Amino acid sequence: MKKKLLSVLLATAMLASLFTGCSSKNAETETNNPAATTPAEETPSAEPTTEGEAVTLKWAIWDKDITPYWTALKDAYEAANSNVTIELTDLGSTDYMTVLATELSGSGSDFDVVTIKDVPGYATLVSKNTLEPLDSYISEAGIDLSQYGGVDSQVRVNDSLYELPFRNDFWLIYYNKDIFDAAGISYPDNDMTFEEYDALARQVADPTFGSQIYGTHYHTWRSAVQLFGVLDGKHSILDGNYDFFKPYYEMILKEEDDQIARNYADLSAEGLHYSAAFSGGDVAMMNMGSWFISTLIANIKSGEYDASLCGNWGLVKYPHAEGVAPGSTLGTITGLAVTSVSDQKQAAFDFVKWVSGEEGAKVMAETGNFPALMNSEISDIIAGLEGFPADEASKEALSVSNLYLEAPYAENVSQINDILDTYHKSIMNREITVDEGIAKMNEEVGKVLGK
Amino acid sequence: MNEKKAARVKKLETEAAELMQKLQGETDIRQKQKLIARRDSIQRKATTIKNNRLISREAKRQLIAYSFIAPNFIGFAVFTLIPVVFAFILAFTNWDGSNPISFAGFANFKALATDTFFLAALKNTLIYVIGTVPLTMVASLALAVVLNQKIRARGLFRTVAFFPYVASLVAITAVWGMIFHPSKGPVNYLLLTVFGVAQQELPKWFSGSLVLFTLTLFSVWKYMGYYMVIYLAGLQGISAELYEAGGLDGANTWQKFRFITWPQLRATTFFVVVMLTINCFKVYDIAVMLAGGGDGKLSTSATVLVYYIYQNAFNYWKLGYSSAVAMVLFALVLLITVIQFRYEKKLNA
Repeated sequence: MKKKLLSVLLATAMLASLFTGCSSKNAETETNNPAATTPAEETPSAEPTTEGEAVTLKWAIWDKDITPYWTALKDAYEAANSNVTIELTDLGSTDYMTVLATELSGSGSDFDVVTIKDVPGYATLVSKNTLEPLDSYISEAGIDLSQYGGVDSQVRVNDSLYELPFRNDFWLIYYNKDIFDAAGISYPDNDMTFEEYDALARQVADPTFGSQIYGTHYHTWRSAVQLFGVLDGKHSILDGNYDFFKPYYEMILKEEDDQIARNYADLSAEGLHYSAAFSGGDVAMMNMGSWFISTLIANIKSGEYDASLCGNWGLVKYPHAEGVAPGSTLGTITGLAVTSVSDQKQAAFDFVKWVSGEEGAKVMAETGNFPALMNSEISDIIAGLEGFPADEASKEALSVSNLYLEAPYAENVSQINDILDTYHKSIMNREITVDEGIAKMNEEVGKVLGK
Repeated sequence: MNEKKAARVKKLETEAAELMQKLQGETDIRQKQKLIARRDSIQRKATTIKNNRLISREAKRQLIAYSFIAPNFIGFAVFTLIPVVFAFILAFTNWDGSNPISFAGFANFKALATDTFFLAALKNTLIYVIGTVPLTMVASLALAVVLNQKIRARGLFRTVAFFPYVASLVAITAVWGMIFHPSKGPVNYLLLTVFGVAQQELPKWFSGSLVLFTLTLFSVWKYMGYYMVIYLAGLQGISAELYEAGGLDGANTWQKFRFITWPQLRATTFFVVVMLTINCFKVYDIAVMLAGGGDGKLSTSATVLVYYIYQNAFNYWKLGYSSAVAMVLFALVLLITVIQFRYEKKLNA
């Protein structure tokens, strides 16, 4: 009898926990939906309200608490469209695209709008048929794609576009004015060839032990070294023949040998972050993306970076190959896409259109980030941020003439990226020579491309 | 009991009686056993009906037993058995996780034969296993034998030896990164100042041909404490009388180890080697943490099989291909474990 009682009790407890699970979920959706302040059965959400149909869009993002623009965009959009509620779902930035791809596999997902962090992840989602082609929506809404400076053409898949960019980051040269002042050398400028850049780095560097100054710093990412090669506009990482990387590898390895730049093996062993390298005050110039601007401003202001070491900084455009227009640079875009499983695609697209359009761009710029849609008004907002270098050259550095994506769309772009990463590592670690590494890249990427 | 039931019971009883008669005439022992089993089952059925039960006592007992196993088994089936079977099937298909699955036959396995990265991963994993298994075994046995003696601060030393096993991998790889830092680490500093190795010649511990050596060293250091505990348990199971008897026969320390400890620890050693081999084949986190640098990606000299499986599955979404690699890993581990079991059996025989 006792046993029976025990099992009945256990079963009741299990059932009870099941139901509490359900009911707490219901409670959550109710609190997330501001329209549902009265009991749910009295106001069915499908019923149109006076301001238009109430819509809740579920949006996949990352790092909500440390990235100010998600909430800023949500608030601004909700203020402009009172019938729409944007529900943010934070998937975290580590492995964001992998988590998203897993979420969208199968039929369990209920995202309407998803953020596309990078092109390899975009390629995955498109090949898995999880994104809605936006062409008909774009032509219906009459969006002028030329405002994105041509990057849209680099993410087209079989002539269709599955995302609209809303954030755009491009690479610049950051430099430490104090180091140049102390050495009595004039600052870098917005029109340098790679030879001039190399010569300047050598001029400003000081290998004296104890007070060492590095003329330049290259982060361990492949893009920081290899992709100098694509800036002439003739090559891309999808080429399958990478002989054009050679002069840049040679230049940088030589700089390492001569202690003009930190050693790659050291950097990767200690996992030194580029921000730590630059804010340490012993790096004269560093190539890095525009995302570092807001970090630098914020961290100098908060005192996290020692202003006496790196507070006096400036920006110039990327160096360029001989005969190429200055202002050519590498870029990465962050886009928004509508999922193919969404049952409110038009509403989702309206949101995407708004965020990637002019209103969204202003919100982005005010948070210190670069929107995909750039014009002089927007670069004025960024250059006007408190803590942005006051000199004209730094402001001018923000104008880009050619933007080449680090990774344009290709079906196998993830695999190509990994092959290039692998041999980049081997070359920089001096496990193999530059020629051997490039030969390996040509061979292995050739296999992927089926050449 | 109603008539229908009564009739059924009667029928079963006559059947049982018939079987009894047959049984008496039967001489073959196997046939006899079969008949007895059948008779018993028929009698059970009859009792169940007579007692007006839905199921017999025996069946009820079995049901209870299964219901106790069920929670564990369901968990195992859903999270292990079914995925393993599914992976086995996937290895013969092409699938990206959402589009329809297409059958690929042996194409995935054929492709493996010419895949540079797979071959590098296979080679690296084998080198790592061959290096790590014997070294860890020897190191943990030596530690266990020493720390089984009545020495001062024995508990402290045991804790120190066990510490790397429980310490956070992230923290200890960071420390190793500093110790073996190519230009600022104390190890290379020692080589530079004491042994006079030239600056350019200093070993880069986390790249090139040295990386597998560093990985092996790190794994031995990290895991020897755990296997030491297993060996300690084994050592404490050896009867003190054996050593006393050995002592009376004039055996020295080495002879005691060689002829008493080592044979007595055979079962423990077998367990340790099998577990170590399986765990070493599964190496992933150590490689990525120690040799992955800032971006957690491995160069060809440090790639291991599990990393390659992950990369194919979740970076390229080639689930079929990645399952094929997993099958190769499975076959390797199975093969080596079977060999180890055979060898152990032979020794026991």
